Amino acid sequence: MSSLWQATIYGLLQGGLLAMIAVGFSLVWGVMNVINLAHGAYVLLGAYTAWELHAAWGLDPLLGAVAGGLVMFVIGYAVQRLLINQIVNAPIFLTLLLTFGLQLVLVQGMAVVFSADYRSIATSYASEAFAIGDVRVPYGRLIAFGLAVVATLALVMFAKRSRTGIAILATGMDRTAARLMGIDARHMYALTAGIAAALAAAAGAMVGLVGTFSPPDAARFTLLSFVISVLGGLGNMSGALLGGLMLGVVQAWAGQYLPGTWVNAVAFAVLVGVLIVRPGGLAGRAFYESRLETA
Amino acid sequence: MSRWAAAALAGAVVVVGMIVLPSQLYTGQVRVVTAVLMFVALAQAWNIIGGLTGYACFGQVVFFGLGGYATAVLMEHANWSFWAALPVSALGGAAFAALIGMPLLRLRGHYFAIATLGVAEGMREVVTNLGWLTGGGAGITVPTVAGRGTEWLGNDGFYVLFLALAGLAVAVAALIAHSRFGYGLRAINQDEDAAAAAGVNTTRAKVVALAISAAITGLAGSAYAFQQVTIYPQRLFDVDITVIMIVMVVIGGAGTVLGPLVGAVGLQFVSEYLRQHYPQEHILVLGAVIILVVLLFPSGLVGVRSRSGLLDTIRAYRL
Amino acid sequence: MTAALETPILETRGLSRRFGALRALSGVSLSVQPGTILGVIGPNGAGKSTLINVITGHLRPSAGTVLVDGMDVTGAAPWRIAHAGVVRTFQIVKPFRGMTVRENVAISAMYGPTRGVTKRVAFEVADGVLERLNLAGLAARSPAELPVGDARRLELARALAARPRLLLLDEVMAGLRAAEIQSMVELIRGLRDGEGVTVLAVEHVVKAIAAISDEICVLHHGEVLTCGAPQVVLSDSRVVQAYLGTRYAQRDGQS
Repeated sequence: MSSLWQATIYGLLQGGLLAMIAVGFSLVWGVMNVINLAHGAYVLLGAYTAWELHAAWGLDPLLGAVAGGLVMFVIGYAVQRLLINQIVNAPIFLTLLLTFGLQLVLVQGMAVVFSADYRSIATSYASEAFAIGDVRVPYGRLIAFGLAVVATLALVMFAKRSRTGIAILATGMDRTAARLMGIDARHMYALTAGIAAALAAAAGAMVGLVGTFSPPDAARFTLLSFVISVLGGLGNMSGALLGGLMLGVVQAWAGQYLPGTWVNAVAFAVLVGVLIVRPGGLAGRAFYESRLETA
Repeated sequence: MSRWAAAALAGAVVVVGMIVLPSQLYTGQVRVVTAVLMFVALAQAWNIIGGLTGYACFGQVVFFGLGGYATAVLMEHANWSFWAALPVSALGGAAFAALIGMPLLRLRGHYFAIATLGVAEGMREVVTNLGWLTGGGAGITVPTVAGRGTEWLGNDGFYVLFLALAGLAVAVAALIAHSRFGYGLRAINQDEDAAAAAGVNTTRAKVVALAISAAITGLAGSAYAFQQVTIYPQRLFDVDITVIMIVMVVIGGAGTVLGPLVGAVGLQFVSEYLRQHYPQEHILVLGAVIILVVLLFPSGLVGVRSRSGLLDTIRAYRL
Repeated sequence: MTAALETPILETRGLSRRFGALRALSGVSLSVQPGTILGVIGPNGAGKSTLINVITGHLRPSAGTVLVDGMDVTGAAPWRIAHAGVVRTFQIVKPFRGMTVRENVAISAMYGPTRGVTKRVAFEVADGVLERLNLAGLAARSPAELPVGDARRLELARALAARPRLLLLDEVMAGLRAAEIQSMVELIRGLRDGEGVTVLAVEHVVKAIAAISDEICVLHHGEVLTCGAPQVVLSDSRVVQAYLGTRYAQRDGQS
């Protein structure tokens, strides 16, 4: 029984982090109908930024997360503005290809610069833990979880309350109408991409805080972002939080109770199952109804 | 009529030339051309569902992997001849395509792309975990002993086999493109609601297109498994294979017959060159090539006829 | 009406469709007799396009049934409806943009209700239809190059190439100039009188459709307000108020 609780708690903590990775991915998909296959690489770029800062100046990964987020905001903005905006109206396999090419360049580039060795950002507190009954809760994971939830909720507030956030959502709902009202769609798309990259990078620093990372992990983060976005409903940010927590728990349970590497298949089974049964996502109504691409 | 005759003549000349070619090449070069031929078949296969029908199947490699594993398992565990396993692998791929196509082809756009990607990645895990049947992550080795149709074909033998597969794929693609069925697929690609209103049974057409595409991909996977002798899930279900098919189709021109041919030949030679000269960075360079191709030739090489045409296609999809 | 009690070629019973909280159609019951023209009018958002989409299977009804020749086809796929001889046009034109005008029309003939049409025959049919609609000169063009009027005629040409028994027209006159409207009106009348094609025309241009309809139904907020002979319906005070507006009615009364 305690192993079930341990797995559940672990899954929730991990799920919060996954949600922080996925929420930007989902926002980008919802607003501009682009799937960024380089999203997972952004997570790792954030992790390596935090790692370098920690190695060079002993900077705490929590501050490293902020620094990595700022760096990746700029890069994410530039990539959208200079590359993806050029073909944003093309058939989807072109945007998928472009971002896949970007993913190859970034992941291979990281492998060349940082090597493919696994790394982690060692701190004095991350692996310390407290216990609730039999269940062990490491501080590092709790901090990462807290930051992830706060960041995700902050994004929701920003999008729904701030002037810029509303402009972004408006552009996503009807680009033509938004442009007629004087909203610069190119800038809004780039801002959205920048925010998504920043959140992914900050989450990457937390990944380094609680575990290990290496360049080939990028594809896994991208795929988990897909699954969570689909679970939560396209572009639905609080849905992504819910989807992340759910996926985290399901994966933790599967890791606990399934033999071999079947746990890897669970995420895909969830993905395909949800797409077949409820393409609009599990978390209530789809946010972008017009984008519900099912016949 | 004369256009068909000209195409047939040109095809015959190419085929004869290709048959004579290996005698003029070193062994290593024969292998390179064999790989090119395999990708010609794969690119044509993807073009049927992705280019012609407009359903971006990002899990196409699942049919390749299943074809390869069907052949390996039938030859290793059931003592089948390769020549029996080859068509059965293709049929298996087509049947699996029909099975997943029914639910998944209802999804459009990214949803279809991701769902098929999920199927492919999931299938790799399934194959990895069915160790008693597939050898798991350690791979499975196809028997290559003489007799009963299991003798390894040798470099020249596989060259001819993949030449035949490439020829078959091009022929099927050309037949579809000029048929009533091809018009239906293009109609689905360009406006699915209007296609259905015009009387096209869109569900059936899409499933058949995916099944044909899967059968060709399964054939290639089957031949590849026999050629490699030992196969592993990581390689046979590698998402990069899907992506390379798509890049080839995009470079050449999606929805055309000539495009995937041009794209496959061009990209395979370029990536082979990169692999030999920049063994460390070739994937990085490949990524950069993909980015440039998408930005410069979003409509493919076949679609670009003049300088102004090139500029127009570059600008066509800009925000 | 004293029409014979033939089986209606199309009948809807209590057809409803909701989008979330919005009731786009509620309880719509209509019937169309063979060889007649039924005009369906109503203000924007009255549910006119939804009605056609539900009949042709592009949308599933939330409730109600659709009968073609007395057979229940509710929720059938669009191609089944097309194969039953019920062919439509789209309000927002939906040409196949990567094909020529001629290919656009030929596809309808290839896949339409008549079975076993070869490619060659389909292109012959297409040439005939293009000739008839004065589009022959544009046969090799891309539909993207066509002005509104020609694009609407292409939409109609595609429908005609299928040789429909029942033609569902979704605002084919929208955006047309007066002369174009006149030729469209004559064409539709010719289809009924010359070939016995039944027509259900959803229309915003009231006067044009009133001139050729045997019967008119008014949709308002997704419900049928009234049905009847054109002159009776258009002088109905409820219709005048709900649809045309008081000012229009007064001006129309003076002239």
